[in-house]
Amino acid sequence: MVGSEQDFETISEKLEKEAKADEIEVRITKSDTALTRYANSQIHQNIGQEDLDVSIRAVFGNKTGAASTNSLELDSLKKCLSTAEKIAKYQEGDPDFKGLPEPKEQQSVKENYVKNTAKFTPDQRAQKVKEIIEMARDEGIDRVYGAFKTESQSLFVANSNGVKKFSRFTSSNLTTTAIADWDDDQGFGWGESCSADVRDIDHIDVGRTAIEKGLNNLDTEKIELGEYDVVLEPLAVQSILMYMDMMGFSAKKVQEERSFMKGKFGEQIMDERVNIYDDISDPEMIGYPFDYEGVPKRRVDIIKNGVANEVVYDSYTAGREEDKESTGHALPMPNPMSPLAMNLLMDTGNYSQEEMIEETNKGILVTRFNYCRPVHPVKGILTGLTRDGTWLIEDGEIKHPLNNLRFTQNLIEAFNNIEGIGEKRKLFAMGFYPAYFAAPALKISDFNFTGTTEF
Amino acid sequence: MRANIFILERCLYGGANMHDLVEFGIDELGKRDIQYGDFRLSEINTEVINVKNGTVEAIKSSESKGYGIRVIDGGWGFASSANLTEQGIQKTIKRARKIAKASSKASEPIELKDIDIHQDSYTTPYKKDPFKVDLEEKLDYLMDVDEWMDIDEKIKVRKCNFNAWKTKKFFASTEGARIEQDLIKTGGGLSVNVSDGEDTQTRSYPNSFGGDFNSRGYEFFENLEILENAEETAQEGVDLLDAEQCPEGEMDIILNTNQLALQIHESCGHPTELDRALGTEASYAGTSFMTPDKLNDLRYGSNIVNIVSDPTAEGGLGTFGYDDEGVKARKVDLIKDGMFVGYQTSREGAAKVGSEISGSMRADGWKNLPLVRMTNINLEPGDWSKKEIIEETDKGIIFDGIKSWSIDDKRLNFQFGTEAGYLVEDGEVTELIKNPTYTGITYEFWRNCDAIAGKDEWVLHGVPNCGKGEPPQTMQVGHGCAPSRFRDIRVGVGKW
Repeated sequence: MVGSEQDFETISEKLEKEAKADEIEVRITKSDTALTRYANSQIHQNIGQEDLDVSIRAVFGNKTGAASTNSLELDSLKKCLSTAEKIAKYQEGDPDFKGLPEPKEQQSVKENYVKNTAKFTPDQRAQKVKEIIEMARDEGIDRVYGAFKTESQSLFVANSNGVKKFSRFTSSNLTTTAIADWDDDQGFGWGESCSADVRDIDHIDVGRTAIEKGLNNLDTEKIELGEYDVVLEPLAVQSILMYMDMMGFSAKKVQEERSFMKGKFGEQIMDERVNIYDDISDPEMIGYPFDYEGVPKRRVDIIKNGVANEVVYDSYTAGREEDKESTGHALPMPNPMSPLAMNLLMDTGNYSQEEMIEETNKGILVTRFNYCRPVHPVKGILTGLTRDGTWLIEDGEIKHPLNNLRFTQNLIEAFNNIEGIGEKRKLFAMGFYPAYFAAPALKISDFNFTGTTEF
Repeated sequence: MRANIFILERCLYGGANMHDLVEFGIDELGKRDIQYGDFRLSEINTEVINVKNGTVEAIKSSESKGYGIRVIDGGWGFASSANLTEQGIQKTIKRARKIAKASSKASEPIELKDIDIHQDSYTTPYKKDPFKVDLEEKLDYLMDVDEWMDIDEKIKVRKCNFNAWKTKKFFASTEGARIEQDLIKTGGGLSVNVSDGEDTQTRSYPNSFGGDFNSRGYEFFENLEILENAEETAQEGVDLLDAEQCPEGEMDIILNTNQLALQIHESCGHPTELDRALGTEASYAGTSFMTPDKLNDLRYGSNIVNIVSDPTAEGGLGTFGYDDEGVKARKVDLIKDGMFVGYQTSREGAAKVGSEISGSMRADGWKNLPLVRMTNINLEPGDWSKKEIIEETDKGIIFDGIKSWSIDDKRLNFQFGTEAGYLVEDGEVTELIKNPTYTGITYEFWRNCDAIAGKDEWVLHGVPNCGKGEPPQTMQVGHGCAPSRFRDIRVGVGKW
């Protein structure tokens, strides 16, 4: 497939010459995704996808239009440009739009592109999956489920102000759900690993984690609803961070009075041990070093020692405030969701998960959450359910597995009630959009469970 | 050496027309020693116009063209590409076969249910092509809508939008199918975000998350009466700030059609997808409590609850002529007189459990693998009117406008929140309430359904953002229903 940096430069130079607009931006994304899914200990879906998208923003004064195509035919590209220009001309203009970004010096960030991941074959994925299936069978589990994904993505952004950026990365992600059967009972367990380098994926460890959890999750019991101490494993914490991000960490949400950060800057809103930041330069992080407007991503310390410190900006939201610059967090524009933190990390603490459990008189251990949704975004209230392994902790020990529970909880209050932060953190891919978050385990008191289910 | 744009042009898209490419692709597949193969080529055009606070937030036009190839060759293999040359197609077939061979390391024999093989075409019935309506006309309309919403300084964000999709799709299989479809979908809506510095609320029309959508032309957008409802919706958003908090407790609830559509989607649509019931989504979207052993044996709802999968429903967002396995659209019972009687199926799933085939396999664009997806999952009308339902309710809440939704991975425990609630006391609507929520267990909830309004109040809503699968796919589905009442439901969840 055509798609080198030079190919993209050629396309953008040609389009810039053709353009009648005051400014134009050419953004080209290319992806190759391979994914092997397995269920009931069989490979049931196995795919390879390649695609390329050329998006053009045309600007006349403060009017912008956008069009995209996945065709590299010259006529299609010209048509795409002319559509973007036509759309822009129809508009009355947006006084808040201050133009496309100017070139900005890029801090040095290593490219997360690993050839071994990009070249990983269907046979190699299938072999690892087969080994997980066989390991589960040896433990008496005939039903394992999951997906093994390897992908490579590249992004080219150029605009008529002189921005010209190209980067690429690879990502690999393996998940396993093990379902242990005993009479009519089922025990669910989960394992997951994510890395830019597929050689870092320890499929045996992922499978073993899921299998052990599944076997220890049989014969679940119901528990009285109410507030409990919780020990949240890193994946559960990642879900919370994702919704905090969506509900509060963007300049747009703050400007539109839809963020729990609004009016709180400089205030202690969480436990002082909480540090949440967006930082592509962190060695474990995956992604592009610049955003979809070609602006270098800078580290943004969103929550610093528990204080609401700053939020992420794209060029549009920066243009709406005095003395603000884009932090490099634009999504493909135009985009109602932009800006968004895409590389969130939470600082670790000094607790092991075992210590968190040992110091809990009565609490609940949660592997991960399912189907979380904001109930009231500005108040930071979220609901969701536990999934794939929930246990009662009593007197510092895991007592027995529990039916899955629904929580309805103010997240800001929860992050004020932190009793311990895990000493390690784990990286996760977000799934629905190309973002990667790294989270530690947390122990939180008075977490509100409002419902339970039948398994 | 720098590539030349004209070389690129010759590399890709040699100018072959879509029919020729489909014939080439299926001929090539037919030459391979494989159990089964299909070739699906699509061209998708979209147009999005978002107006916010009197300015254009986004106008975007996009087109995407490519194909996906499925093969059974020891196991399943799927590969997709936008390289529309003969060489590209051959390379993609090779990739699909290589993937299928790898699948065979851990795959049981695959059987597909026999179906009628069609050579046919289908076009969405429509009056006005939304892509041929002047951009200026659409923009002017949305700007008018924006002005009508601009009634109070507490309104911080005014949004309105227009969306249209056009898909040209070809399907061919090694069994001889040749199907061409032209599908058109249109819709839009409005919303306001209001804030008084203490609280924030949202109100939308005709539904949340972009409005309402149908498989119709521009006439559907015109008939949504977005402009006519702009001021009233904006005012109700402002009123919500001072409204009382939803009470806690158990009471009767009445779901308006926009919220009932989502209730059907989450608590009947997803659990009756056979792939979920068989576990193939277990590690991602989850499974289903409606397992094959419960078919024809589970009382899902009360006697008046009848739910169907109906891709033939006129105007539904999940309406088409044929699914992405070449199965002709057909109406299938899922819940009959309250009993669980059917699944949404694929050919493979139907063969596994020996069930009827529903024609539910659809892919998000050309790039993705078809999955079992909802078509139009509709609750059949009852014989009440909404007025009668309210009059015969002593104490209850009417829920309107999707705001928050969550359900467990077997689709049992759910919790929903809506933008607005209306208290019903002694048969009358008495008060607007904010942050209304309700929760329950799916089958208990539907067993408590005791009143469904009739045909006159039955509305076929479009949900354009149903997520499923890995990599994630977004599907457009429809849900028809009329306002309905559910007895003794827990409301007002959480601490406020």
